[in-house]
Amino acid sequence: MNYATVAMSNLRRNPVRSVLTGLSLAISAATLTVVLSLDKGYTSAVTEDLVNKTGVHLYITKEGCPIEAASVIAQGGLSPLYVSEDIVSKINYVQHLEAVMPFKLFAVTTNDGSRTDIFMGVTEAVKAVKPDWTYASGGWFTSDTSVILGAEMARIENLSVGDKMYTEHFNREFVVSGILERSYSQDDGTFFLPLLTAQKLVGREGKLSAVAIKLKDISMLDEIRNQLRASIPADYFVIGSKELSEGILAFFSSTRVIMFVMVVVAILISVFGIINTMLMAVLERKKEFAYLKCVGAGKKDLLKLISLETLAICLSGSALGVVAGAFLSPLSGNMMRKLFIAYTPSGSIARPDLLIVIFAFTVCTLIGMACSLYPGLRAANIVPMEVLRNE
Amino acid sequence: MNNTIIKLEHVSKEYHRGTETVHAVNDVSLSINKGEFVAILGHSGSGKTTLLNIIGCLDHPTSGDVEVNGIKISSSPEKELTILRKKTIGFVFQQFFLIPTLTVLQNVQLPALFASKADEGKAKELLTMVGLEKRLSHLPGQLSGGEMQRVAIARSLINDPPVLLADEPTGNLDSRNADNIMNLLSELNDKGITIVIVTHNHDLVKNCSRHVFMEDGKLKHES
Repeated sequence: MNYATVAMSNLRRNPVRSVLTGLSLAISAATLTVVLSLDKGYTSAVTEDLVNKTGVHLYITKEGCPIEAASVIAQGGLSPLYVSEDIVSKINYVQHLEAVMPFKLFAVTTNDGSRTDIFMGVTEAVKAVKPDWTYASGGWFTSDTSVILGAEMARIENLSVGDKMYTEHFNREFVVSGILERSYSQDDGTFFLPLLTAQKLVGREGKLSAVAIKLKDISMLDEIRNQLRASIPADYFVIGSKELSEGILAFFSSTRVIMFVMVVVAILISVFGIINTMLMAVLERKKEFAYLKCVGAGKKDLLKLISLETLAICLSGSALGVVAGAFLSPLSGNMMRKLFIAYTPSGSIARPDLLIVIFAFTVCTLIGMACSLYPGLRAANIVPMEVLRNE
Repeated sequence: MNNTIIKLEHVSKEYHRGTETVHAVNDVSLSINKGEFVAILGHSGSGKTTLLNIIGCLDHPTSGDVEVNGIKISSSPEKELTILRKKTIGFVFQQFFLIPTLTVLQNVQLPALFASKADEGKAKELLTMVGLEKRLSHLPGQLSGGEMQRVAIARSLINDPPVLLADEPTGNLDSRNADNIMNLLSELNDKGITIVIVTHNHDLVKNCSRHVFMEDGKLKHES
């Protein structure tokens, strides 16, 4: 027999209470795992979308960006700031550029508010900029009423090449000229229009959301940025795609704070739950602890017993929680995609990994163990005579 | 050679109950030799349990000196008293204080665990001695009162204490079980263990070698 045998037998004394306490910690561990998975997943997904998958190295935007550009993408609004189309001719003089893609980006929310569609007006330069621009069927625009659909939009709208697509918001009909291969990027959920058509739809002829630039050699980023800077008016920005993704992530920061507050609340509830349970367990067994002291149990022995009981609860609760959290993360990611975040990147926005699981497990177990200190000390400091006298 | 194992000199214990001072033990001097079987008798409230608790290092006297197995407990720190309780003294109480979720065998092993010498063989040996060799894996709830007290006695002996203190060990038992327990204690005394028993039942302690009578916290007389 050892201390663990005694501790485990005590947990069996009130199994429902032990299980409920473990579950409260499991909820904390699951919440922490989900939040960390979302935090990591969303950041990675945005970076992948805006930095890795777009093929864009630099953007030229009007003053106010990158927050303004992020706002357009995230909120689905129409930015009052715009880049004049004239700027493209100035940029073309700069060397070592592989492609220059002017674009008009806007989002339209359906009348019932159930969906926000992203429209992007592009030129043929898009083929050079976007690494995944390949057609599943059809091809480039054949007229100013043509539309190219991202793979997901084609699936949702159940449209094929040659089909007509009516947009209620603009009261316009388009003909599908091409459907893109699935790229697992933002493009899958985008309607691509000829640039001029897109500008006309929102009454912004000659005006662009931004100009995307792909470099021949990424190591020349700073040098080319300086050249671009010198060749365009002072009220324009030259920003890297990484900075743009950081702008988007800035919008996420308030959601992030709320999520971490939720974690703190969940952990606090667990903390009080564990302290309450262990304290109850100590108070209920005062006589026993007094007797154990009579037969030679020291303070350390009783602390060890209480700590082992708590450890068993914490280990099982945390393990259950992180496993549940890892499985629930994709579900939470889907919920957040629908409910919380205006800008949703294409990739998974919940990405649990081993490091997150280990971190959440360790944090919850340690916090749980810390909760055993007070009840443990109460048990250790029981004066046997006082308890027995009251008998 | 000094044969005294317990020595009390002018021991007093006072409690404060509100503004009232209670003299639970009042100037008691008593020496108990190794191998004695001493019964402390008295009515409820006479101070006999308080005296036993002082001997058992569970309570500190307000004044006077107490020596157990050569160690002055009135001046010893708590850590030393814990070691004394662990190695020198076995306790048997009226309530059996068995851990309900541990088996009979595990309950007996418990004090040995705190002394870092948990020995299953010794525990089985003791349970055989008290006639419970077939009840090793039973839980306390599955035993009768007499059996539970026998488990408690086996438990009190697991660390080979030279002194066994019993506070009303038959208080919760019927007369047949009470006689059995007293016979068991007599057998243990025959093996050389010093036993001090507190009770108010004069009939039970006929076999004791010494009877100490208490009244109002004082030793009234001995026989």
